[in-house]
Amino acid sequence: MTGALHTSRWQLPRLDRRNRWIGGVAAAIAVEIGVQPIVIRVSFVVLTTVGGWGLVLYAIAWATLAIGTPGPISPYSPVPKGASSTHRHVAVAMVVLGLVLGLLPFTSEFFRSLVWPVGFVLTGALIAWSRGQREQEGLSIVVRVVAGVVVAVGGLIAFAALQFNLLDTLIALVFGVAVVAGISVVAAPSVVRMAQDLDGERLERIRSDERARISAHLHDSVLQTLSLIQKNADDSARTVQLARQQERELRNWLYGTSPDNPHAVRLGPALEDVATRVERAQGVQIDVVAVGDTDDHEPGVLAPLLAAAGEAMTNAAVHSGVDRVDVFAERRGDTIEVFIRDTGVGFDTTTVATDRKGVAESIHARMRRAGGSAHIHSTPGEGTEVELSIRVLAAAKPFPTGEPT
Amino acid sequence: MTRIVLVDDHALVRAGVRAELEDAFTIVGEAGSVAEAVTLIAREKPDVVVCDVHLPDGTAANVIAGCVDRGVNSVFLALSVSDAAEDVIEVIRAGARGYITKATDGPGLIDAVSRVSGGDAVFSPRLAGFVLDAFATDLPESSSDPELDRLTNREQEVMRLLARGYAYKEIARRLTISIKTVESHAGAVLRKLQLSNRNELTRWAADRRIL
Repeated sequence: MTGALHTSRWQLPRLDRRNRWIGGVAAAIAVEIGVQPIVIRVSFVVLTTVGGWGLVLYAIAWATLAIGTPGPISPYSPVPKGASSTHRHVAVAMVVLGLVLGLLPFTSEFFRSLVWPVGFVLTGALIAWSRGQREQEGLSIVVRVVAGVVVAVGGLIAFAALQFNLLDTLIALVFGVAVVAGISVVAAPSVVRMAQDLDGERLERIRSDERARISAHLHDSVLQTLSLIQKNADDSARTVQLARQQERELRNWLYGTSPDNPHAVRLGPALEDVATRVERAQGVQIDVVAVGDTDDHEPGVLAPLLAAAGEAMTNAAVHSGVDRVDVFAERRGDTIEVFIRDTGVGFDTTTVATDRKGVAESIHARMRRAGGSAHIHSTPGEGTEVELSIRVLAAAKPFPTGEPT
Repeated sequence: MTRIVLVDDHALVRAGVRAELEDAFTIVGEAGSVAEAVTLIAREKPDVVVCDVHLPDGTAANVIAGCVDRGVNSVFLALSVSDAAEDVIEVIRAGARGYITKATDGPGLIDAVSRVSGGDAVFSPRLAGFVLDAFATDLPESSSDPELDRLTNREQEVMRLLARGYAYKEIARRLTISIKTVESHAGAVLRKLQLSNRNELTRWAADRRIL
């Protein structure tokens, strides 16, 4: 699977010591051609039946090929080389056939009589056992098995009919079929049941894996929190806070990160995180609503916005005197706006107490440095709203479709 | 006095909601499943049904459909712990007049019930945000009725303020319009949400999975 293997120029195979049965010749050739090693191994066996030529060829290859690992090859991952895997298998079969025919004159009578039966059976087995690189590719399993049986049985019959007389062959065939049919009838129920059991077991395993994953998560999060809540039953503020925190965490786990892009930074969940931290520290309830959210935000762009929003949430929690803060974030085109609002005591923006002014300045300064802006509206007795606004990259695309208007 | 039926499969939740609402309204019955709820509502014909979204044998949408089939014209307020988009959209499109989450406090709940019983729409900030998001995606080919598939600028403004946590009267003051006008905007948005033909609404909810 390395670049070297993908070069179109043919190079001598290198013996792969990690993936060998005998000398690694078959594996090396298989890797180079891009078929499964078993195909090459069977080819060598076939050739061996032709007067032992397979052994000779194998020995020559073993002696001459260089040892080396062409790259990190996994045992059964043929390297794709131009033509499809079916084409490659046909090519191997042709080469073997050619060699068999070419070498036949140089073999003894005994081997010659063996060639055809063994060749047919092996070819049939090869067809039946061969697997496409993926299940969708190549022939389906049923077609492959049927084709393999037809080649092997048909070949043997043809061979036998030529060697012996036709009637004897047919009688033998009928007996053979009767035996196979008898075995099938007896064995079929248990084979079918075995297949079903296997399927059921696989499903069950998938289910129990999933169940284990969920229960592990629930144990780590929900059960822990519930026991904490029991311990803190007297402290209602702490109980509420724990429950809130757990709710948010569970919600995020259930619906949160988009599975396609786990590293995506999304505004809504990022704000939720900030809100959770403030909730934990200040014991208030913060509701976050995000609109037009996208998952393509650069963490760097969001950082100052999130920090300023967190600061505003903390302010609202500490100074407003109410225990509930609303946060609304909206992305419209390339601008993100965040509103942090409480319905608390409020203050007169013209005569600001020095401590609040300091915090306000830090929100202002932070947003200005990031190229955004912050406005604070407040009316005594009616609450405060902090308005943050920042531009993000215009190239970014909203999630999932269209542009908020 | 406004007559109310509570539908929730958790007795504890029903007890909690009952405690919050008892002083202001008459609770005429409680149900724990879709089948029970439909029978009870058909018999009692309450003014308002406060209904949990997920029930053992179905959803609030099934309850609403069952009641509509029996010609009951009670008003539905969905009350749920879930504010996942697909839950919200399903119940609202089935005909609920409002959707609030169980995090809503006592006064908020009483306010919501009296509002829907008076014919108004009740939006939680999250529902308002959802509406903005769902109607923002501009897909012209879906417009069998473009009037229904768009929010007017004013409606968007109202939704945006609702999402920011403003109450109706605060919105009225801020936009210098009457509270009745705010209510009619909210009602119009709810109607669009219910009647709009856009399949995208549902697909959007399924795609996003969250609000």
